Amino acid sequence: MSEANMPTPVRSEETFSARVMRQTWASLGARFGLGWVAVVALSAVFAPFLANSHPLLMKADGTWTSPLFIHLTFIDVTLLAGFAAVVAGWMLRRRLSGSQALLVFLITVAVAATAGSQLLNPPQAVIFDQYRTGLAAGTIEQAVFVPIPYSPTDRSRDNPLSLSAPDRGHLMGTDEDGADVFSRMIHACRIALGIGLVSTGIALAIGILYGGIMGFFTGWVEILMMRFLEIFESIPQLFLLLTVVAFFGRNIYLIMAVIGLTSWPGFARYLRAEFLKLRQQDFVQAAQAAGLPISSILFRHMLPNGVAPLLVSASFSIATAILAEAVLSFLGLGVVDEPSWGGMLNQAVGPGGTFAIWLATYPGLAIFLTVFAYNLIGEALRDAIDPNLQQKAH
Amino acid sequence: MIQYIIRRLLLMLPTLAGITLLVFSVMAMAPGGIGANLMTRGGDMRPEERAAMVAYLNQRYGLDQPMSVQYLRWLNNVLPIGYTSTPSGEREFGFKQPDLGMSFVKNRPVLDLVADALPITLLLNALTVPFVFIGSIMMGVYTARFRGQALDVGIGTANLALWSIPTIWMGVMLIGFFASEQYLKWFPTSGLESMRADSWTFLPTHTPDGWQHGYLLDLLWHMVLPVICLTYSGFAFLTKLTRSAVLENLSADYARTARAKGASAQVVLWRHVFRNSLLPLITVAASILPGLLVGSVIVESIFSIDGMGKLVVEAVQMRDRELVLSITLITGMLTLFSYLLMDICYALADPRVSYE
Repeated sequence: MSEANMPTPVRSEETFSARVMRQTWASLGARFGLGWVAVVALSAVFAPFLANSHPLLMKADGTWTSPLFIHLTFIDVTLLAGFAAVVAGWMLRRRLSGSQALLVFLITVAVAATAGSQLLNPPQAVIFDQYRTGLAAGTIEQAVFVPIPYSPTDRSRDNPLSLSAPDRGHLMGTDEDGADVFSRMIHACRIALGIGLVSTGIALAIGILYGGIMGFFTGWVEILMMRFLEIFESIPQLFLLLTVVAFFGRNIYLIMAVIGLTSWPGFARYLRAEFLKLRQQDFVQAAQAAGLPISSILFRHMLPNGVAPLLVSASFSIATAILAEAVLSFLGLGVVDEPSWGGMLNQAVGPGGTFAIWLATYPGLAIFLTVFAYNLIGEALRDAIDPNLQQKAH
Repeated sequence: MIQYIIRRLLLMLPTLAGITLLVFSVMAMAPGGIGANLMTRGGDMRPEERAAMVAYLNQRYGLDQPMSVQYLRWLNNVLPIGYTSTPSGEREFGFKQPDLGMSFVKNRPVLDLVADALPITLLLNALTVPFVFIGSIMMGVYTARFRGQALDVGIGTANLALWSIPTIWMGVMLIGFFASEQYLKWFPTSGLESMRADSWTFLPTHTPDGWQHGYLLDLLWHMVLPVICLTYSGFAFLTKLTRSAVLENLSADYARTARAKGASAQVVLWRHVFRNSLLPLITVAASILPGLLVGSVIVESIFSIDGMGKLVVEAVQMRDRELVLSITLITGMLTLFSYLLMDICYALADPRVSYE
């Protein structure tokens, strides 16, 4: 065939990922979901600047200080740096490739975390009510507070108000320790955001590695790995989570790890099914014939073609992880002394049959909206990635 | 088929061993190990009493032996075949009574505790499953029948919203509005029976002091809120599944043939299409059962019902090794058996399915 007779290749104007992003964004549900996740993320990053007992600026003995900045922890700083890196990456998105952006993000977070933990030294013992009593007594001349002048663990010892209904001072009321519910709601966004992203990240990493190997090799390797996967699938996640937390202590990183380590089998199964299909295709056989190393075939050639369905189930998996943490906190086995939506919900019904409706509505609504948001994003992604599924469902 | 069932049953053994080994390792690797909780009790004992207790516990549970030996000992105890020690101190190999051991904390045989708790959880689920299935089958069939109309859209949206409501929130709201002092006090907040229900007759009766509503009605009254809590989230998934199966079959050739021969719409829908749409429902019923067990953990702790779910939470909080391991084994077995049962039902319902 001469060159003139060659059919001109059909080129799509947009890439696959661009099309998926456009179609996902076109769905109303996904827009709502992303909007709510953005609200949660912003609250998590800027929590100390939204709700804090420490004044932003304070004038005492004639000098201005900023107790808020003195009390920033390395987690606050790391989150802020990570947020700055994401914003910078978004502004430079035309200059940087995906892997470069990821590298920059990881380096920024790592530097901020190490520098923060070395350099920052917030006082260990904190008296939250010193500012309010100081202002009243006149030892503090002036103070500028952030919008909600209560820290999540500020039990207002100067004016104890346990389980008081919402009013002007506490917009969402107080909990049974007298802490401000609105402040706790905002700070609890950190756990909700972190638990979903970190545990799903762990599960994705294990699932991709395991599923990729299982989908590429056949024979006894696959049989053995499948058996092992079935064992992991039969373990009730909540049960293992309860056991680990009861025996090892209530640590947020541990909870993240356990949720991640128990939710990978779904990802592995999906990827295996995709790889079984891909293995037969010409480009994989060509790569094999060219003598590429197996890791390159698996993760450089096959993975990008089989990763799309994983994104869908990752979105649903984030929702499940958030729910699992909420249930754990609700059962009284969550993180100690850190605000969590599930733990607040647990206080709504008192032992004597009393009902604090503000402690049921706000945290419950927050869990509901977050889970709903990730489910909506997942559905929109699925419709965009697999149009066949969409036609079948209607 | 028999061969297939036997193979599946044999495959269960390594899976169950794997699950219990994992849970055992988690407990064994914990700081202080399994015995930590036992050893810290009795702080007011004299040293020799304490030493005697430690010696007794070591002798009974082998807590001073390596973890691998402890696990094998436990495995030997729960298996129907294994070593037994005779009074003279010799070991015999053969059939024996499986022994789940004693609860460390409650000092009662684990089997007794489970025998108290399991029927309650099974009763809750036995009431829930029919509601879920009948409700979602009706909704699924009618949303498919009136596809694209207001009924379809309405039920679809409502189910999606219900599905996203976390059970913990639903439970708290139900108690808050229907059982608390401030709002309606229609239902009890906790438990499964009223204070004096033990002395009542089973069925409602007239007594000299007046009307007595009896044990059965009392039980049902207590179960209303927990069953609602367990039911609502199952609707969305099953309704969607029924709907797509019915839709697929409604446009199949045999449905058109049935209509062409003059069968009424109702007959086509229920006698022809519906029966063929049941298959996917049977397969997913298996995936629902483990979820129901997890659901009972939440619902039982919200409503303080003494079922398996509450026993699980208590066991892990008390670090009760024997209880935790036995519950792992029992729930694992129930889950695997339900999977097997569903696979068998699938083959029975569809002659084309064969496991040979």
